[in-house]
Amino acid sequence: MKKIWLIIKREYLTRVRKKTFIISTLLFPILWIALIFGMGYIAKESVQNLKIAVIDNSGYFSEERLNKQNAIDNSSTLIPETKNAEKIVADYKTNGYDGYIVIPAMSWKTGTDSLQLKSNKSYGSSSTATVEAKLNRIWNEIKNDSLQLDNEKQQILAASRITLKSKNIEDEKADVKTAEGIGYVSGLLIYLILLIYGSQVMMGVMEEKTNRIAEVIVSSVKPFQMMLGKILGIGLVALTQFFLWIAFVVIIYNVGKVSGAGGGMASQMIGGMQSMFGSVNVPLILFCFGFYFLAGFFFYASLYGAIGSAVNEDMREAQSLSFPITMLVIISIALMTPAIANPTSPIAVWASIIPISSPIVMMARIPFGVPNTVPWWQLGLSMALLVLSFIVTVWFAGKIYRTGILMYGKKPSWKEMLKWAFRKN
Amino acid sequence: MTLLELQNLKKYFATQKAVDDISLTVERGQIFGLLGPNGAGKTTLIRMITGIFYPDEGQIIFDGKKFDPINDVGQIGYMPEERGLYKKMKIGEQAMYLAQLKGLSKADALKKIKQWFIKFEMESWWSKKVEDLSKGMSQKLQFVTTVLHEPKLIILDEPFSGLDPVNSNLIKDEIFNLAKNGSTIIFSTHRMEQVEEICDHIALVNKGKKILDGTVKQVKQEFKENLYSVGIEQELSSITGVTPYEIVGQKNGLHILKINEGSTPNDVLQYLLNQRATIHSFNEILPSLNDIFIKLVEGTPAARQFQKI
Repeated sequence: MKKIWLIIKREYLTRVRKKTFIISTLLFPILWIALIFGMGYIAKESVQNLKIAVIDNSGYFSEERLNKQNAIDNSSTLIPETKNAEKIVADYKTNGYDGYIVIPAMSWKTGTDSLQLKSNKSYGSSSTATVEAKLNRIWNEIKNDSLQLDNEKQQILAASRITLKSKNIEDEKADVKTAEGIGYVSGLLIYLILLIYGSQVMMGVMEEKTNRIAEVIVSSVKPFQMMLGKILGIGLVALTQFFLWIAFVVIIYNVGKVSGAGGGMASQMIGGMQSMFGSVNVPLILFCFGFYFLAGFFFYASLYGAIGSAVNEDMREAQSLSFPITMLVIISIALMTPAIANPTSPIAVWASIIPISSPIVMMARIPFGVPNTVPWWQLGLSMALLVLSFIVTVWFAGKIYRTGILMYGKKPSWKEMLKWAFRKN
Repeated sequence: MTLLELQNLKKYFATQKAVDDISLTVERGQIFGLLGPNGAGKTTLIRMITGIFYPDEGQIIFDGKKFDPINDVGQIGYMPEERGLYKKMKIGEQAMYLAQLKGLSKADALKKIKQWFIKFEMESWWSKKVEDLSKGMSQKLQFVTTVLHEPKLIILDEPFSGLDPVNSNLIKDEIFNLAKNGSTIIFSTHRMEQVEEICDHIALVNKGKKILDGTVKQVKQEFKENLYSVGIEQELSSITGVTPYEIVGQKNGLHILKINEGSTPNDVLQYLLNQRATIHSFNEILPSLNDIFIKLVEGTPAARQFQKI
């Protein structure tokens, strides 16, 4: 036991002290935030202000109406070009237009379902949406005027709308949007940890093998202890990184709260976080996250460790042998999306119980609420199965490790590795 | 007194009888040479002694008790032929880590490492990394980490490979020192001149079996061919008649004689004196371990063949 502790300590300290650890710990949240804001910025920037020629055959879309709307909303410009219609259709580009719309002759009572924006390019929906909205506003105005509705009537019409929201009466605080968000984030984080730190275990074992220190170590400790120490040590590194990130969030949260409504963006974020944490069971989610993170890590890391012990220094060998395992992790993340879209569907339930995908998929379901969306028996069964299977994989990996770590030469096949696992002694 | 006793050890792998019924006894304080060609089963044998492999059959008695890998490994220091260290780790920390894995307390480990580092003039290395060391330097470090915890049994596999003569001597002296202070050393190599110089007792392993076991002196006696070198003034071939010897050759001005079966060196001297020869020297030529090794191993295929078991 003392020896495992020594190994854990070494694995942990050598990694935590590395510059790459410090840099990645600092950079990850920054990149994450940059990604979120960057995406918003790019989406905003990619909206084009279109200048559209409107060729009106109905007589409703008058210059006056169009100009009025252009003055209200400048995100797109609609110019009436009814008189020289043919010239515009033939040569809209040289006249400075991005496209043109032909409005057919129609009655205000029936209207038309769709119009076409003709141009030589396909514009994204975010660009055409503003044009569409403007046309609809004009159309509403036309209808209002034709019906001779005054302002009061118009307001009554616009105001009386029914919206339907799903409300969970068992769980007053449940909020689907927040649950989805937390589900995505926790599933993704576990996915990243499994892949990044799992392959770190593999590389660590390979390093020991190529450095030829493995034999020195196994003459002092059992190979199983050596493997377990490595997995635990690296698991702790991952955990440390997590705690640092959580500490980050807490600090930002508190600083933001103290500085009050200083920055609009910051206070918006803080407000979002407050309502988010208000609507879910934070302690339960944190506990489950810790559990699935560790158990899932043991499950996959031991398999990665076994592969690291079986191959030589060749990275390509390791990649080809670890491909099936990486595939399992990727399948889990692929199952996460349907599970979040419908957290009580059979696929979500089973994927969150079967240990291969449960660390990611169950974590994505839990924010929707325990025990309503995820009954206790499902959570219990999923946890029990995961614990049981990581014990099996650690045992199995230990067997392969013991043989593989001292084996140099040809890359073994999966079949040979299975043989090692079931060989006595 | 016996420190290590191997009784009928066997270890079969899928395609090899790596160790096939080997029994050995190593006495306390002995420097024991474990010899054998490549692939003879030495490493497998050593791995069983160090608790890395379990024998398929047979027993290991260590220090009077049945060998218990978990507790007894602290009494063993093993320097494998394929040696290595963590490249990115600082040398001092590395030595501390390996010493503590062998069961030393932190304070003990620190004290002993300091002593050894001073002895080997390595004090300035403490916060350097292993990747900064030359091959010979890391060899020295490896030796220190092997013997640091004062094990009862030290197993060295090719300890001198890659060392210059000065450092070789340093380590050789240390090996003698350790043996004098009561450590038992198993020394595995195929450099026979080193074995002759260092070992008290040897065992030769080939194809998984022990084919020779004894002290260096005994083995040499066993394989001697009754050869003598004679320094003599006359031309030996001018002496004719019924000689109790045959002339085998000449080397560095000395004649090499092989004494006939049934005759003794005294008969030869007497005969030569009767021939009025002037004798300067008369020495027995014992076979070198190298010769014995080659003689015993020759004829077996240089590489072990894969076999069905």
